[in-house]
Amino acid sequence: MGGQPLYLEPRLESRLRSLVHSPELLHTLTDALGSPLNVLVPDQLADNLARFRSVYGTHHLSGQVFLAHKANRSSALLRRLAATDAGVDVASLGELQHALGAGLTPDRITATGPKNPEFLWLAARTSVTVSLDTRDELEQLATLVRGHALPRTRVLLRLSGFEASGVRVLTRRSRFGTAVRETAPLLEAVERHADALDLVGVAYHLDTTSLSEKALALEGCLRVLEECRSRGLRPRAVDIGGGFGVNYLADGGQWERYTTALTEAVMGIRPPLAYGGHGYGLRNEAGTLRGALGLYPAHRPVAAAGYLDELLSQPAASLGGRPLAALLLEHLYDLHVEPGRALLDQCGLTLTKVLEVRDDEAGGLLHIRLAAKADDVALEDHGVLLDPVVVPRHPMNAEGTDFPPRTTTGSGTGTEPVAAYLFGNLCLEADLITRRTVFLPHRPAPGDLLAFANTAGYCMDFHTTRAQHQPAARKVAAWQEGGRWRWCLDDQYWPTTPVGGAQ
Amino acid sequence: MRYDSITDAIGNTPLVRIDPAVHGLSHIDLYAKLELLNPFGSVKDRAAWNMARPHLSAAAPEQGGQVVELSSGNTAKALAVLAGMHGRTFRSVTNRMRIPEIKDLLLLLGAEIEELPGQSECLDPTATDDPLTQFHRALSEPGSTFVHTDQYFNPRNTEAHFTGTGPEIVKDLDGRAPDWFIACVGTAGSSTGVARALREHDPAVRVVGLVAAKSDFVPGIRTIDEAHEVGLFDPGTYDTIESVGADEAIEGMLTLNRRCGILAGPTGGAAYFGATRQLKDVDAELTERQSAVFIVCDRVESYLSYVRRRRPDLFGRPRRGNSPADLTDTEVRTAPAIGVIDALAWIATGEPLVVDLRGPHAYAALHIDGSVNIVDELFEELLHGGLPFSHNRPVLLACPVGEKSARYAALLTRMGHPDVRSLTGGIIAWRDAGAPLVRD
Repeated sequence: MGGQPLYLEPRLESRLRSLVHSPELLHTLTDALGSPLNVLVPDQLADNLARFRSVYGTHHLSGQVFLAHKANRSSALLRRLAATDAGVDVASLGELQHALGAGLTPDRITATGPKNPEFLWLAARTSVTVSLDTRDELEQLATLVRGHALPRTRVLLRLSGFEASGVRVLTRRSRFGTAVRETAPLLEAVERHADALDLVGVAYHLDTTSLSEKALALEGCLRVLEECRSRGLRPRAVDIGGGFGVNYLADGGQWERYTTALTEAVMGIRPPLAYGGHGYGLRNEAGTLRGALGLYPAHRPVAAAGYLDELLSQPAASLGGRPLAALLLEHLYDLHVEPGRALLDQCGLTLTKVLEVRDDEAGGLLHIRLAAKADDVALEDHGVLLDPVVVPRHPMNAEGTDFPPRTTTGSGTGTEPVAAYLFGNLCLEADLITRRTVFLPHRPAPGDLLAFANTAGYCMDFHTTRAQHQPAARKVAAWQEGGRWRWCLDDQYWPTTPVGGAQ
Repeated sequence: MRYDSITDAIGNTPLVRIDPAVHGLSHIDLYAKLELLNPFGSVKDRAAWNMARPHLSAAAPEQGGQVVELSSGNTAKALAVLAGMHGRTFRSVTNRMRIPEIKDLLLLLGAEIEELPGQSECLDPTATDDPLTQFHRALSEPGSTFVHTDQYFNPRNTEAHFTGTGPEIVKDLDGRAPDWFIACVGTAGSSTGVARALREHDPAVRVVGLVAAKSDFVPGIRTIDEAHEVGLFDPGTYDTIESVGADEAIEGMLTLNRRCGILAGPTGGAAYFGATRQLKDVDAELTERQSAVFIVCDRVESYLSYVRRRRPDLFGRPRRGNSPADLTDTEVRTAPAIGVIDALAWIATGEPLVVDLRGPHAYAALHIDGSVNIVDELFEELLHGGLPFSHNRPVLLACPVGEKSARYAALLTRMGHPDVRSLTGGIIAWRDAGAPLVRD
């Protein structure tokens, strides 16, 4: 098997842990609805929201937490969100319609991202706040508002290209937003269209894990807001987007061992750790490691609400060194955030049925074929490496809390750790659920389920298609009631369901 | 000692014996090679000068362009000075500069610093260019006039130590190589160059390479994964590779600082810690005398914030009087306060001094007319010395939400002020009530 098993065990909080350890329910579900199957846990969303709210509380900040809808198209999640006091940020006409239909009132919706005229019209028609990327978009919206006699529309100006003094921080280029250097003409346009547009603040979204880049952007926003005020405008909010991250793994040590082993495999010091010697962006050039590890930093001690707290605690060098949170508060600004992944942390899992377990003649690696295609479990497309949890068809132990050793057919006793490749059900060489060699604590059997935990944020249906007439995963929502797990189809879930009692 | 140029003062650093009473080894003489005494403060002065010299002396300033290096610290420091001495500018490109003092020093020396962007949160698996690849591409564009010293791949880095540092150690040990050489692995230049020089003298020298523990950050040392990214790194150079954590590095540093009079930084501390840990077991088995050398690569002064973050206990100061931290919860809860409506009336009739405790930028943007701005941090400083205004003048304290002002109202009351009040709900409540705020 090539040394010790390199496990990457998922972090499971109590709800998801309880669900994964309910084999009877999970098998009932997949027997009825097929494999793959996405299970959502809407109640977790409210808990995650509370963690963000508590960071607001610590810093005495007001403002809204908006779920980034694009991370998952579930109705159950959105309706559960509607039953809290949070908002949603929508990036398409369909998402906006979905949000309105789920019960989110326009004051709790922000429209962001690339927009078509229909999207802009419905946003303005329903008095949703619009985050504008460019001056052209601003002009387009103003024309639309006047032409259709729509109410004055609340807008945020999305900015990019923030610059630091002293140390030049090279930020990732963003194709969204207007460069801060171009703020003056943008604000002139806002003033010119004052009858149609009401400036409520500025926004940014940076696709980076770096705190310092985000702190720099927030500092830049504060300076632009000050310029707005000096022009007599009355902005009151800054929207800092999302990207606060998720900690996917239970054990940081496993992550460190794995990445070191991967480096060694690329350097030829140990056998490859992935199908075809794939190096996840790393390569060996004449004995030196080149490239960059193209993986999501799956173990992150500081993530989600904790990351927001860190960001808000950063000192703003150009504004007297006071922490960003203190500056927001003292300037009387609301803080808006748009987490997607972080708000959906622990909110769902993807179940796949094992179709075939084959011993490879050559390498000793198992070949496991699953009733799902790579796009259904898009963890690797997002660079997330995470072990699935084996949910046996026939647990020996009826209590089902932990999976004991058991007998299986085929070679091996089924009690020792195994190394395997996980293949999908498409007729394509490239259809690997994960390119990585996956280590499992014991050999699964056909009929068992592999549960991929924590897929609700982006990894569940972002890439899913109906190619080759293979079924795309259906979705169910699950919740606990009276110590038992209950479920219904995603489309049937409303926050009243637990009381009304579908299923 | 008279020199024509500061660059002549590079090298020939002392080899100082560590007192056995400190390291506790009975059969091993342990020596520190004090690279911190190089003119720009570190072992990197040697490599920087050796790498830059051919380029800097070859062309006139108007022909040769900017000196560029991927460096987070000491190499950048040395190159910034050397470039400046030769009429050039220096640019450091890095994603590892985590020591604010070094950043400031580099800016002071005229360096430009570019920080590489962080990793993408939403991964794009089709992306082909990491920032470093882009950097190298920019350097090799036709017509570019950069002098790229390329410390991680430049053999002149290793050579500086092969011809300098290594032979100096042998000379100071009366022509003998030490039995042990312990070095931290950064660019691998010093460890590789010194090891080669020592082994030429005596192939039996055992070389210990020290890397940083993966979850830790020790300035100037790479983790084992990062070491593979260095062209000069060859695992074959080291008889053993061990890892050192940040806490251990700081422990070692404190020993060198406090007990040996060697003002080493954490990298030198890591080398000392790694050396004594490695040699302790060896020492117990020995019957004859052996010697060991480690490198103290730079100085402590630049790392105060690094140490403070990890060991705040080392910077403990005595508590001072009149501190808001001394207040009880009851005192804060019962601090005299006044709501917005009553405050408006009080300001109109009682003429209290209105003190706004927010930062100056926020105050300048919007404030209560007639108020003065004393930022909370400054206000706390003032109070250590006593009341900053007369007993006879009523005072209204305002902060964003009325929390800080309540603490200070309680403290001023305790200090004997008869009429101080905190604005309930703060400036935010004031705004929400529609009370006037001005910019002047």
